[in-house]
Amino acid sequence: MPSTQPMIEACGVQKWYPNGFHALRGVDLSVSKGEVVVIMGPSGSGKSTFIRTFNALEEFQEGSISVDGIVLSNDLRNIDAIRCDTGMVFQQFNLFPHLTVLENLSLAPVVVRKRRRSEVEAQAMALLERVGIAEQARKYPGQLSGGQQQRVAIARSLCMEPRILLFDEPTSALDPEMVGEVLEVMRNLAADGMTMVVVTHEMGFAREVAHRVVLMSEGQIVEEAPPETFFTNPQHERSRQFLAQIL
Amino acid sequence: MTALPPGSATTPPLRPASPAPPSVQRSWAGVLRQELFASRGDGLVSALLILLILASAVGLLRWAFGQAQWAVIQVNTTLFAVGRYPIEQQWRLWLLVVLVAALSGLSWGLLRAFPRADRSGELWPFNDRLAVALLGFLAAWLPAALALGFPLQVRWWAITGLLVAMRWIAGHWGRSWPPRLLKLVPLSWPLLYLLGMVLIAGGLGMSQVSPSNWGGLLLTLLMASFAILLSFPIGVVVALGRRSDLPLLRWSSVLYIEFIRGAPLITLLFLGQNILGYMLPGGWAPDRVWRAAWVLTFFCGAYLAEAVRAGLSAVPPGQLEAARSLGLSMPQALQRVVLPQALRIALPAAVGQFISLLQDTTLLSLIGLLDLLGTARTVMANPEFLGKNAEVYLTLAVLFWCCCAALGLGSRALERRLDPTHSPA
Ligand SMILES: Nc1ncnc2c1ncn2[C@@H]1O[C@H](COP(=O)(O)OP(=O)(O)OP(=O)(O)O)[C@@H](O)[C@H]1O
Ligand SMILES: [Mg+2]
Repeated sequence: MPSTQPMIEACGVQKWYPNGFHALRGVDLSVSKGEVVVIMGPSGSGKSTFIRTFNALEEFQEGSISVDGIVLSNDLRNIDAIRCDTGMVFQQFNLFPHLTVLENLSLAPVVVRKRRRSEVEAQAMALLERVGIAEQARKYPGQLSGGQQQRVAIARSLCMEPRILLFDEPTSALDPEMVGEVLEVMRNLAADGMTMVVVTHEMGFAREVAHRVVLMSEGQIVEEAPPETFFTNPQHERSRQFLAQIL
Repeated sequence: MTALPPGSATTPPLRPASPAPPSVQRSWAGVLRQELFASRGDGLVSALLILLILASAVGLLRWAFGQAQWAVIQVNTTLFAVGRYPIEQQWRLWLLVVLVAALSGLSWGLLRAFPRADRSGELWPFNDRLAVALLGFLAAWLPAALALGFPLQVRWWAITGLLVAMRWIAGHWGRSWPPRLLKLVPLSWPLLYLLGMVLIAGGLGMSQVSPSNWGGLLLTLLMASFAILLSFPIGVVVALGRRSDLPLLRWSSVLYIEFIRGAPLITLLFLGQNILGYMLPGGWAPDRVWRAAWVLTFFCGAYLAEAVRAGLSAVPPGQLEAARSLGLSMPQALQRVVLPQALRIALPAAVGQFISLLQDTTLLSLIGLLDLLGTARTVMANPEFLGKNAEVYLTLAVLFWCCCAALGLGSRALERRLDPTHSPA
């Protein structure tokens, strides 16, 4: 069960894209340690934009965000500290195609944390074992299936020993038969007490694993509820419309 | 589970995987017939082309071995090779050739001893055996054909032998050498280049040889390699600058690229002779040769920047995002993630640029430098060798062709080695 210690605190976050588009219109969200929050919402509602502000891949103009006690500001050292503490898993995997699986995992710990390569590689092998692809360690990402690539991407984030994991539609680019293996890994992480913010449309995952489901629409959070309430008895008209569409 | 349709109650057994695709055996004659003479029309075109090629080849060979008088080359080999480099200092160039041969053989052997992690490498692939055979043939034939003195012939045999021996030693025993020593090998190339500069120009107790005495192949290779090596960092920096968020950096990069690409090289070369002395800090462009070298460098740098920029935009933005979200700083992300991919994509275009740069060095003869073409023109102007243009130009063409072929082959090998998913080659 999640504790009450907050890991992410977002208050009144507003963001305009350079072309003037108002993508986030005052979003508040607080995520506790060990909590799994699933963000849903129609396409273009700002889900990606929102979770990408957590590790400063997107800037925001108004409001405040603090991650693991560090306030996100323009200070580059703060940003680097937060990025080391948060892992991110992307829809398109974004593995480094010119490096082997093992090198993908060990790059950041060796370059950023300045750890010894041999020690990092041992840890990387253990992580690959955990996501079930240790035998692929010396292959290149292009030689793996989508599901295997996404599991490597998760292991790569874990190799930096993050305290928070962000997922942006991790299964949307996968063939249906590979979705399960990735969700299984995520389920195990949640069971181990990892703090996770997951943008996904996987209802089963949200129902089973999430502590809270958040619905975004047009740059705002319109509903925030435990999954059982969210799926059976949504309070807002927009939530009902959205659920009607994806069910 | 849905019910299976009747008749499929027993699933057929899955076929076991075969270890290799079946190989198709075709005889040489069969291949020829199919490729060249598949239909009547194909056959006609092929036959005509074969006749044409044979006719011109026979004509060329009859001229080369019958009418042509190669004395013009044989008498002037030194001039073509090094220009007016003083004879008593030429041991320095020989030393450089020996070092280059040794290091080439060493690197070549180590490349074969350490195939990429994910593939098995043959120690002596077919191409390598072919290359060694070709080297042996050249070492045996070329010095004799050039009518070099016997001691010189022996020197070339020894140098070729050294190269092949180093290749053999490094290939067979390289794996057991201490890793520290092995790490020095890539580093030794830039060091050798610097040492080569010192050997050629003088310093470290050796007497100065003024650049105006450098000539022929020496000058051509020196100018081309200088421009290629230095234009590379310039190209990368300018390409990054052009995509930078800093307006001043972006605008100066654009200005530089457009200025260089807007003018023909020959104008820039003449311009460089006149104004470069004012633009670069004193001592950087002391004489005509160095001024020309810098012009070539900046010229090549601008085109290279465009090639690198194309490579950078071909790398998906997600790569930088992934690297940054793992905590890599911007320079780290560029160095470890973005640039390796961008440069690999830019490699073919960059090598094309290098090849045309090598050929552009012939323009140096127009500003009065004695590169290969400049040397050729002085030789042909000598009344003694009047009317021997064909022999001289053919030699030049073959020399340039060999250099460009080497660049092309090297880049293709590099490309294959850098391509993570290419099948072993
Ligand atoms: N670089 C950009 N410049 C301008 N507008 C943008 C930019 N990136 C995104 N947007 C807009 O911001 C809005 C939110 O985009 P975002 O990617 O966060 O949506 P999303 O909820 O993740 O959608 P999806 O489910 O399709 O991924 C969209 O309307 C999009 O058009
Ligand atoms: Mg999105």
